[in-house]
Amino acid sequence: MFTGVDLGLRENTAERIVRIVLFIALGALPAFWHGQYALGLLTLMAVYGVLLIGLDATVGYLGQVNLAQAALFGLGAYASALAVQAGAYFPLALLAGIIAALLPGAALALPALRLEGPQFALSTLSFATLSVIVLNESETITHGALGLSIVRPSLFTVALDARGFYWLCLVLLFMSWWVSQILLKSRFGLSIEALRDSPTATDALGIGTLRHKVLAFAWGSALAGLAGALHALNFGYLQPAAFGYDLMVMLLLGVVFGGRRSQWGAFAGAAVVAMLPNLLSNRTLFSGLVSSGCVLTLVPILRSLISRRVPAFKEAAPAVAMAVALALSLFASNVEEWRKGIFALFLFAAVVGLPDGLAGAFASALHRLIRFTPDPLPPATGGIRSAGISVSKPLQVFKLSKSFGGVRAVDNVSLDIGQNEILGLIGPNGSGKTTFINLVSGLYAPDSGSVEIAGTRPLPGSLMSAFSAGAARTFQNLQPFSGLTALESILVCQHDGGKSEAMGWLRMVALEEKARQRCSELSYGDLRFLEIARALATRPRLLMLDEPAAGMSKPDIARLVDLIASIKCAGVPILLIEHHQDVVAELCDRVAVMDGGRLIALGTSAQVRRNPKVIEAYLGADEEQTSVQGTSEPQLC
Amino acid sequence: MKASRSILAVLLATSFSTVAVAADVVKIAITGPFSGGSAPMGVSMRDGAKLAISQINQSGGINVGGRKMKIELIERDDEGKNDRGALVAQEISSMSDISAVIGTVNTGVAVMGDKYYVEKGIVKIITPAAGSASMTQWSKAGVKDLPIFRFASHDGIQAHMVVEKALKLGFTNVAILHDATNYGVSGRDDLIEQISKQGGKLKVVSVEKFAIGDKDMTGQLIKAKAAGAQAILIWGIGPELAAVASGKEKLGFKVPMIGGWTLSMSNFIDTSGASGNGALMPQTFIEDESIARARPFIQAYHKAYSVARIPSPVSAAQGYDAALLLAEAIHEAGSTNPSKIKFSLENLKTTVKGAIADWKKPWSKWNPSNVETHEAFRRATTVMGKVQNGRVVLADPSEKFVLEGIAVK
Amino acid sequence: MIILDAKYIALAQMAVGGGLMGMAYALVAYGFQLTYAAGKAVNFGQGELVMLGAFAGISLAGTGLPYWVSVLGAMVAGAVLGWFVERVAVRLALKQHNEGWILLTIIVGLFALSSVENIWGRDDRPFPAPWPAGALDFFGISVTWPELAIAMGAMGIMTLVELAKRYTMAGIAVQAVSADPEAAELCGVRSRSAISLSWAVSGAAAAFAGTVIGPVTTVGPTMAAALTLKAFSVAVVAGLDSGFGLVIAGIALGAVENLSGYVLGSGWREAPGLILLILALALRPQGVFGKKIIRKV
Repeated sequence: MFTGVDLGLRENTAERIVRIVLFIALGALPAFWHGQYALGLLTLMAVYGVLLIGLDATVGYLGQVNLAQAALFGLGAYASALAVQAGAYFPLALLAGIIAALLPGAALALPALRLEGPQFALSTLSFATLSVIVLNESETITHGALGLSIVRPSLFTVALDARGFYWLCLVLLFMSWWVSQILLKSRFGLSIEALRDSPTATDALGIGTLRHKVLAFAWGSALAGLAGALHALNFGYLQPAAFGYDLMVMLLLGVVFGGRRSQWGAFAGAAVVAMLPNLLSNRTLFSGLVSSGCVLTLVPILRSLISRRVPAFKEAAPAVAMAVALALSLFASNVEEWRKGIFALFLFAAVVGLPDGLAGAFASALHRLIRFTPDPLPPATGGIRSAGISVSKPLQVFKLSKSFGGVRAVDNVSLDIGQNEILGLIGPNGSGKTTFINLVSGLYAPDSGSVEIAGTRPLPGSLMSAFSAGAARTFQNLQPFSGLTALESILVCQHDGGKSEAMGWLRMVALEEKARQRCSELSYGDLRFLEIARALATRPRLLMLDEPAAGMSKPDIARLVDLIASIKCAGVPILLIEHHQDVVAELCDRVAVMDGGRLIALGTSAQVRRNPKVIEAYLGADEEQTSVQGTSEPQLC
Repeated sequence: MKASRSILAVLLATSFSTVAVAADVVKIAITGPFSGGSAPMGVSMRDGAKLAISQINQSGGINVGGRKMKIELIERDDEGKNDRGALVAQEISSMSDISAVIGTVNTGVAVMGDKYYVEKGIVKIITPAAGSASMTQWSKAGVKDLPIFRFASHDGIQAHMVVEKALKLGFTNVAILHDATNYGVSGRDDLIEQISKQGGKLKVVSVEKFAIGDKDMTGQLIKAKAAGAQAILIWGIGPELAAVASGKEKLGFKVPMIGGWTLSMSNFIDTSGASGNGALMPQTFIEDESIARARPFIQAYHKAYSVARIPSPVSAAQGYDAALLLAEAIHEAGSTNPSKIKFSLENLKTTVKGAIADWKKPWSKWNPSNVETHEAFRRATTVMGKVQNGRVVLADPSEKFVLEGIAVK
Repeated sequence: MIILDAKYIALAQMAVGGGLMGMAYALVAYGFQLTYAAGKAVNFGQGELVMLGAFAGISLAGTGLPYWVSVLGAMVAGAVLGWFVERVAVRLALKQHNEGWILLTIIVGLFALSSVENIWGRDDRPFPAPWPAGALDFFGISVTWPELAIAMGAMGIMTLVELAKRYTMAGIAVQAVSADPEAAELCGVRSRSAISLSWAVSGAAAAFAGTVIGPVTTVGPTMAAALTLKAFSVAVVAGLDSGFGLVIAGIALGAVENLSGYVLGSGWREAPGLILLILALALRPQGVFGKKIIRKV
């Protein structure tokens, strides 16, 4: 079977080479494609490129529908235009544009924290609409709807003609691309993807949603401001209405069509958005493009027909959309007037059929043709021996209570965990165990009572604060970072160390072989183990496991027990919520039992099993004596 | 109606035969807002010009230095948006062998885009509108040799006539309403200037602004009513003008609207319905078949485009006459070279019989300190029109002679 | 009888006019609520559905049909379009548990806008309605018949749908699916059908809104975008599960807009509403009348 041509290159290197070639070609293009008009288009494409790379930071990487980018673009444009009017030099004008967009843009991260998808989109849209209104109405400063004209200043005493300005834009595009790539493929980028997949886990493991969101928004907005400044200096004339909803929709769709989470995608999208009006006026070229698009969309349909399946919506819809576009291009009397509709059809086909956009489709095709040398993985070091930091009082909970509406989920619970101890927490469903762990880890704020982790009282209701005090946890309902690989999941949580230390954590949970696999492809059992490794990588003072054995197979449970035992022996105290009583008996030094929100028993495993209240509420009589032996505490180390 | 328009389009297209050898055509571009709030003006101008051009092509074309050349048309929609207009102007000016451009309705578009034509020396006749700023920008810049000509009524003339009419009707207190675009703002300024020239006979009790897209003018009208306005002097375009008319109706504020020529746009008349009746505006052309000069043009337009009423009669007639003037200039220049055409336009020898008037040397050599050298219209060619039952008619029937065969200049 | 100062009457006039228009926003927002309740998705192209409903009404009236028939016809068209949007733009994303429906509904709306521009043209048109011309006078405040029609129509439709939700099997099924789709399926309710039904009703409500807004503002391609934002604001400020809280939020937004335009100048009319929206979202993300969401892990 064809596995692809092996070029002996790493993917990063190959991409870098192609990118440099692209920019050289773009720079040389004006020599072959003459005319003001062509140059104008290319410059527009470069400016949009910067703008879309910025938009991709929030829409692609963060996954938030950010409808403010066009307005930030406008704010940047106006700020730099006003700076030029006030006599500023070229670089200062660029800086003015960047700052004018950066500050409000970064502030948008704050609503992003509290609001879900549509509400967040709405808050950005409101901000955008407000900005345009302010620009329009501040007539004394911006001349409102009449527009603002400026004359382009020289760059360090060199007056830039159209060609020179184009090259400047190319340089800035290249730099924006480069820096974005570094940022977003680094640990920062991993953190952003992590927070997109599971904001709760991201906060609980100390990665921090707030700071990453603010930085992502700040970067995306800074680029919007830079693009705005270039736009102002390019056209020399600005009007507020140009930066409204129409432009925003085009930008959004450009990013999606080009491909999210990819600077190449953003660039492709920018090219399409800049060239589209002209593509449409040239009917032959356009019909050609649409026909090829049609043919491409037919491929998945044919594939499913060959395997005798009815084509699913996902396969059929893009073809229908492209067929309509083809019909329009052939029969509509004025294709130009259908511009928005045709763009919409292309986008529909792309979003449904090519969820990763043009760049993504191209990349997968490329990966089928060429085999790139994978990045080398260092050997594993570290691991359980250096797992945790030993403290005398890992957890002290005093009279903790929490109600939801009329229900007392946790009712006056007090308990503590001692050094080197595994405390089990058991009880029937709905007894408040998970709520308890959520209170301790900071997901909820208690109504009354206190929590002290390793001697510190964290801020109530703050996951990050509980983490800083030393808590780390796993989740009853898995919270994997689906978009990251196993190795990346560890890297992003890791307290210190590099790839080899991360491999060490993976080795500890026997996932070393699967380091490069995406979490979305890992098995359920693997993910459970990965969650534990993730939590350990943060070097916690207290590890909390919420039903780690749930849904696991028997051999995996045995492995789990060994793992937890070795964690304890390395000195990490553990709070273990479990339903598997054999696991509890084997591991726990002491067991706490909850029922109806209250703590009904606390003692050794054997003591608790004999407690009549516990038997009545949870365990049942008679059955347990036979399966589990021993009245003394387990000796693990 | 859509089908016959397509058939017409095909017919017109074949009359601009592109199969002919490139050297045998004169390339002319028509640009304007063919969509958006200003569309009636842009579309009418385009269709009027195309009518003239197809008539010329059907008779064989223009006689250029002994050879018959047909006119090849390129159309571009600037959507009434300034940045789009700039792109369109850039595109056209970068095309090879474009001789001339006819077009533009919106002042901002002309301000943003015409510089590309000036750079390349391509001739442009601005019609049907674009405010005076589209020409004064060149005298301010001190351009010595200008290929841009204006074929539209002066804003100053319009404002003068509006104020005159208000005084003639006996009003003393008026409100000024205007839109936030270049057109509306310069209209307001022109009105205030004309009113002060009248020496305080007319008092402006309220000045209110509205934006493109505003549907509810109640706020502005309440203020005007409270200030005691007896008439509304208004500068805006179709949809918003209609909103003012219906708003007036709602408040029982029965005062006349007197304003810029845009009150003749079909989208104002249709949308305001009965509440638009009685609106007064300056017109260089009235769609009235009883006017002998205008009849052939009106009938030809109705037939060619299968309409009973021209969306913007003034735009259509101006587009028509502008095309005729351009064709004559190309003939007299004996060349498709823009600078020769420009010279001819400034020194037109033959009188051109148009739908609006007989044009005798409408333009002269450009003089930066006198914009009138490249302006074709004078006060004498303009009358007041009135909206009545879905059409624009002469407000004062005695002015009919103005529109009948007078020679200009 | 108390004779109020003209200035206050003017303010009251602006507030009343705005409030009546705000009922239209509430009706469109109601459509959002219906689809959000059923499938946790909203139509970002709802404004385009309103516009299409208005144009459908105009075209039907143009063929000579009486007003009420045209309105009903427009509602049927709206229902079909609502069903279509769900089928084409939302179902796939819901199945994949992602938020692709945000983009897809925007895209479908964009295509609808382009189609309208080409079929009906880009100009604004008047909507023929049988209301008498002129205005009614309430204590010095003028109210036109079309404005009243908006308020009465909006309340009428919302009441009808709420009654249907409570007293018809189909309505109760939809409520079940809204509460817990899996449990409803276990009881034999097809959640897919319930979701489709709620989108169809939402589309019909949007179309009706178009036929009552049209006479007041004229109908054109530009009406869509502004409406979506405003209706969305109302829905979110009131809370996406707030029932008649929408009406209060809608009236409030409309009145604030009009008053702002009057006091600050027409360009500023939307600004205070937007600021209030941002504040509301910042302070109470679940909406003024909504229920607080508890995070569960």
